[in-house]
Amino acid sequence: MTTGSARATAWASAVCAGLHAVGSRHIVYVPDNPLSHVLRVLGEDYRDITTTLATREEEAFGIAAGLFVGGMRPAVMLQSSGLGNSINALTSLLIPFQIPVVIVISMRGDAGEWNAAQMPMGRAVRPILESIGIPHVTAESPETTAETIRAVGEMAFSSNLPAACLLPRRLTVPS
Amino acid sequence: MSFTRLDATRRLMAMLDKEPVIASLGHPAYDLFAAGDRPENFYTWGSMGLASSMGLGLAMARPDLRVFVLDGDGSLLMNLGSLATIGWTRPPNLILIVWDNGEYGTTGGQETATRHGADLEAVARSMGMQTATTICTAEELDAAVARARTTPGPWTIVARVDENIPTVKPPLDYVMITKRFMSAIRVEAGSSDPAPRR
Repeated sequence: MTTGSARATAWASAVCAGLHAVGSRHIVYVPDNPLSHVLRVLGEDYRDITTTLATREEEAFGIAAGLFVGGMRPAVMLQSSGLGNSINALTSLLIPFQIPVVIVISMRGDAGEWNAAQMPMGRAVRPILESIGIPHVTAESPETTAETIRAVGEMAFSSNLPAACLLPRRLTVPS
Repeated sequence: MSFTRLDATRRLMAMLDKEPVIASLGHPAYDLFAAGDRPENFYTWGSMGLASSMGLGLAMARPDLRVFVLDGDGSLLMNLGSLATIGWTRPPNLILIVWDNGEYGTTGGQETATRHGADLEAVARSMGMQTATTICTAEELDAAVARARTTPGPWTIVARVDENIPTVKPPLDYVMITKRFMSAIRVEAGSSDPAPRR
């Protein structure tokens, strides 16, 4: 029987398993609260994955671009609010130069949000990704998240374009 | 006597062998191309500010290579956080050269903050790069690059240069730039990743 706290971070373990399965060995991130669980699991169970903390999301994508041209399969983790800080890197570097990255987006501003300052970008995340041509999939449950992320990563690295997995609050902040 | 960015770029490239060079968009990339096209050159065409970040990623992925970045003062000012991350991660094989002409040359010559007191060497030092240096002449550039090529970094070399108006531009085939660069530094996409191929 799964305990409450194990269930609470099963999704985080699944994120790590999915990224590991698709071959990501270097993750660049800007932290947020739910992602702290992912970072804890990475630190405990995935010693073969290096993490680098960027000061800002656009910088994270620049670092990831360098990792890719150096032969790695990079991932970038960020909060949805930081997608706004990332657009120029995505549209003027990664997409035109065909530099893929797995993007893991911890959602704010979706169902369960309490902070109105998070809601406009929360509503805008999917339309923004669609308008710049980045495919996105939403993780639905802890049981399916690893496979969802692995599949998103395969999409990215076989198309040489970024692809995103969204982690909704109903997954990362269980009631 | 004037010492232009193109003079400095030519001088630098004459010293390099097969090292990868990532150039910031606009005039730094144009002058890199003018100094001599080579597959180890990565010309960015956008993403202002991210050349140093991309160089950091490449330096971490490929510790066997010495990675050069040609940034501009205006571009670096757009992404000063990059210096904090480089100062934290300290890749010994990263050499960041900042062409500091005190202006946004590509956009018409508007003044940058370095003409009004901003000191990029001091910023780099404060972020942990004690080897950061500022050079003003061709001879000083030669000496700084020679030191950076033979001693562990990360290096920040702020090069005070005069603006010049480039007359040529690198290729606009972005995918070619990526693939040619990766092939030159012996990377096939995903080849060094440990994931089983299906």
